[in-house]
Amino acid sequence: MARLRGKRLKARPVRRYALIVALVVLFAVLLAQTSPRLRAWIDPARTVAADQLASSARPGLWDRISGKAARDERIRELEAEVRELTRYRSVAISMAARLEAYEDMLNVMGEPPVRGVTARITSETNGPFREAILVNAGTLQGVQPGAYAENEGGLVGRVVQIGERSSRVLLVADFNSRVPVMGEASGMRAILFGDRDDLGTLTDLPERGSFILGERVLTSGEGGIFPRGIVVGEVVERGGALRVEFGMNRGRGGFVRLMPSMQIPRPEEFPAELPDPESAIETDGEAGSEEGAETAASDALPDAGAPGGE
Amino acid sequence: MARRRKSERLSAISGIWAETGPTSRFLIGTLIVAAIGLIGLTPKTLFDTELVWPYASLVAAIGWGRSGLGFRPMVVLVVFGLAQDVSAYAPLGCFGFINLAAFGASSLIARSFDRERNPLISTVAPVVLYAVSFVLVWLFASFSGNHLVQLSPLVNVFVVTYILHILTAPVFDLGRRVGPLAGSMS
Repeated sequence: MARLRGKRLKARPVRRYALIVALVVLFAVLLAQTSPRLRAWIDPARTVAADQLASSARPGLWDRISGKAARDERIRELEAEVRELTRYRSVAISMAARLEAYEDMLNVMGEPPVRGVTARITSETNGPFREAILVNAGTLQGVQPGAYAENEGGLVGRVVQIGERSSRVLLVADFNSRVPVMGEASGMRAILFGDRDDLGTLTDLPERGSFILGERVLTSGEGGIFPRGIVVGEVVERGGALRVEFGMNRGRGGFVRLMPSMQIPRPEEFPAELPDPESAIETDGEAGSEEGAETAASDALPDAGAPGGE
Repeated sequence: MARRRKSERLSAISGIWAETGPTSRFLIGTLIVAAIGLIGLTPKTLFDTELVWPYASLVAAIGWGRSGLGFRPMVVLVVFGLAQDVSAYAPLGCFGFINLAAFGASSLIARSFDRERNPLISTVAPVVLYAVSFVLVWLFASFSGNHLVQLSPLVNVFVVTYILHILTAPVFDLGRRVGPLAGSMS
């Protein structure tokens, strides 16, 4: 009996120490994530975990036994093939249209073909942490980094993490989201972010003018993530201030469409091939002599064409 | 007659539960938390009203804590915490820390004040523990988001979690009692 009691007394401090050590370790992990470099290591692990969590896109045991998994896999392959071919088709159509446009108007670029993936919302985070949703489409379904999500009500958010079968979308209603917007009627520009009361707050407003009450708020296209003209919400008045009621809340059908971002390449990514200065001088010299010859020829021309000109 | 039959059935279930060992109770509790958590991952809207989902692992932490410290509950609570972190987009370790802190505090209260399972302490202690846990959630969320997050959603979750606690507290009782102090009146 005494031995048993002694054993218990020994065991309890071990558990207590284990609890304290676990608490300290977890708190250290929490603190470590305040460092951006360490967070960059942890984020991929989190993405893999979220991918596993969105298991609705993964086949279950019964699906494997019944052969449904193989059929689904084949369907997915065919869908991917169709998607790829559709992309080529739209590219071909776009190229044809662009060629036509080139023939009609000089140096006017056509719009890139619009394509996207519709995904089901598998998990919603509406707790105290970031307002985000997890959707069951990832790189395998053709979601690209920097994609944005919209539903029938308007802009939903942008993709902040991509896994193979899932993506996490940071909602525009989140405090950390920043969307460059403009008023549809007033044309005023501002930056929109989510606030604590499910309404958007407009910041970085111009000194003169203001948004019109009741007008629609659209993306302005600045920043290179959201294309211009997507509906974000409507201007409402709350507590004497102009706020934005998000349009996405009107269309919560459980699905979102993930669209690729504008992806306009920066000039630094594709620098223009300028000629070497030395060779340019040489070319200038040659061009100068050619120009001289041309000038001589053009000088001679008026004589030839003089009767027509006069 | 029907009422009597019903009470007999209930007493039979409670009899079976009384005979169930700590391991089985722990496994059943784990399964319940996992089920509630998995259902909570899906979009939860009823007639265009968003449902508030409880933190089942917190109920388990406080329930299991009353039966004293143990390695298995600690490991399971950390695992549940990591799953919560991933699903709630919280910093990793945040919910694990809160779950373990609640577990440890519950155990401490049970050892220090609730050896006799006083009804007053049994009622008040979980409320205090939930309140402290949700304050921790609020603090971590505010630090993580660099702004003070709204309190009202947390209050809603607090209420729903406490309702879940009232309904399922016996399931998270592992059946091990922290014995009365030597020489105390019982």
